[in-house]
Amino acid sequence: MLSFKPIKPLLQTGTKASSRWLSYIGLGAGVLLLLVSVQMFINLDQLLHKVDTRKNGFDFISISKKINDENQTIKSVFTSREIDELKSKPFVDGVAPLIANEFRVHISAQGIFGTDLFLETLENEFIDTVPSSFRWTQEQMIDPLIISSDFLEAYNVFAPGNNLPQMSSETASRLPILIECSGQGKEITFQGRIVAFSDRINSVLVPKSFLDWANQTLGQATEHGATRLFIKTKDANNPNFLSYLDQNNYLVNKDKTRLGRTKQTLQAVFSGLGIFGLLVVVMALMLFSFYLQLLIARSRDSLQLLLLLGYSPNWLSKNVSRQFIPVYIFIVLAALAITQLLQWAFHHTVMYDRPELTSTINWIVIVIAVGLILLSIVTNYRLVRKLLYKLY
Amino acid sequence: MMYLQLQDLLPLYFEESKKQTSEIWGKDLRFEKGEMIKIVAPSGSGKTSLTHFVYGTRSDYSGTISFNGNKTRQFSFENFAGWRKDHFSIVFQDLRLFPEQIVFQNIDIKRQLNPFYPPEKIKEMAERLGIGKKLESKAKTCSYGEQQRVAIIRALMQPFDFLMLDEPFSHLDNVNRQIAMQLMIEEANVRGASIILADLQRVDFFPYTKIFHL
Repeated sequence: MLSFKPIKPLLQTGTKASSRWLSYIGLGAGVLLLLVSVQMFINLDQLLHKVDTRKNGFDFISISKKINDENQTIKSVFTSREIDELKSKPFVDGVAPLIANEFRVHISAQGIFGTDLFLETLENEFIDTVPSSFRWTQEQMIDPLIISSDFLEAYNVFAPGNNLPQMSSETASRLPILIECSGQGKEITFQGRIVAFSDRINSVLVPKSFLDWANQTLGQATEHGATRLFIKTKDANNPNFLSYLDQNNYLVNKDKTRLGRTKQTLQAVFSGLGIFGLLVVVMALMLFSFYLQLLIARSRDSLQLLLLLGYSPNWLSKNVSRQFIPVYIFIVLAALAITQLLQWAFHHTVMYDRPELTSTINWIVIVIAVGLILLSIVTNYRLVRKLLYKLY
Repeated sequence: MMYLQLQDLLPLYFEESKKQTSEIWGKDLRFEKGEMIKIVAPSGSGKTSLTHFVYGTRSDYSGTISFNGNKTRQFSFENFAGWRKDHFSIVFQDLRLFPEQIVFQNIDIKRQLNPFYPPEKIKEMAERLGIGKKLESKAKTCSYGEQQRVAIIRALMQPFDFLMLDEPFSHLDNVNRQIAMQLMIEEANVRGASIILADLQRVDFFPYTKIFHL
């Protein structure tokens, strides 16, 4: 086996190693910046994909029509044509109208409170919490209700000040509620029971069969239409989806998309940092290539003589460039280790060990690190080979 | 049988008329492995050019040089490297040593490329040529005559079919010339190889089988 050991002293590395060290440091900084940016990009993705209230990987948002001075005389309901159009969009996976009561409703509970309220209904598929008891038939005098968990929260806030008992969701579920419905000169009273709380809906939901029947029996309206629509979508932050809503003057629950907008901004920041890191890596590789050219220029006589003696230019290129592989591997591995340390610290201290994130770096970051090692080895080898062939 | 062929060879910077007076330029020659070739070449006749053309370090010539029927002009860099390592050894007029390396390293760098001998052989040959004590000295501190002997030993460390010598003894006294020549002839015989010796005048103790005037 041909040994490179006697050849090594023939390479004049020069007395000044500063340009070499500068390129090592630059390479390390660039690689670190790149790896950390990629990891943060992935962190954001994991973090912000999972905080949305999702059902089977979908976002559910409600939209209504914007009411302004020009159109407030017109009834702002969605027409069936508008609903069909929404349904046909690629970014919409389902549309369901929120149907409201068309009669008067008064709700009271054992003298604790009493209020006029509205009822809504929505297809079960769109509700996050649907117990099996959420059903109604005409023979039934007890009507199941799903109420917004915000209502319970609000009640518990004002209850102590009004000398009322605070309630857990279990207590609230056991509370007998009277629902007095009136319209068309008729009055019917039902017993209501809260069967679930929803985080997604900010009103009182009843089974569709109940509201259909009650609207028909007690309702005054001749035409039916939904003032609110529930949309099922894979990504509520899809820019195409958002701009479509804006164009049609549809109002969307801003809270649902704010997170997405923050995510977009932060990801743009980290993309920028990542690109900057990549640039630094490229610059460092270029600086290193200057150093290599200098090395070969300084060792020109020795290398030429080696070629003259019958050393293969391929073998020499491989071995000259191989000298730097350990340094490259060390630099990239060090950057990878620091990235791992930062990720652990970020997860542990800033993110309080949130389950959405992991303390270990993502496999993509490792793949990129390996890719960088290969890239630097290949570019080096090609450069040395080119320079040596010129000496021939 | 290995052979080296020169066909209608002439440096680009020589007049065509050179072909008339030379026994090599413009001629069709074939050197078989095992032949001892003497080329008598006065100053300015193109001796060093010929050496470089054959070795592949220069290509400013017309005509063809081929080795076993393969034109060296069509050799890739890798082909040349292999050819120099396995088939063709040389002692340049300007020696070409690594000045900062010690004598032993200078020789061993060639030896390890395609070892024909173990490293102990370096010491043996150095002692035979009278430079045994110089093995640990840097090449640049050696006299020209010592450097010539280093270059000769280096050329003998590899297998070869042809050994080309360009004024190998210019700085050696007669005794040392004879010792060095003897060693090279022995080494050529071990390999069944040819020696092509190009020098300014005839070297009497070279038992040539063919002689050409450049």
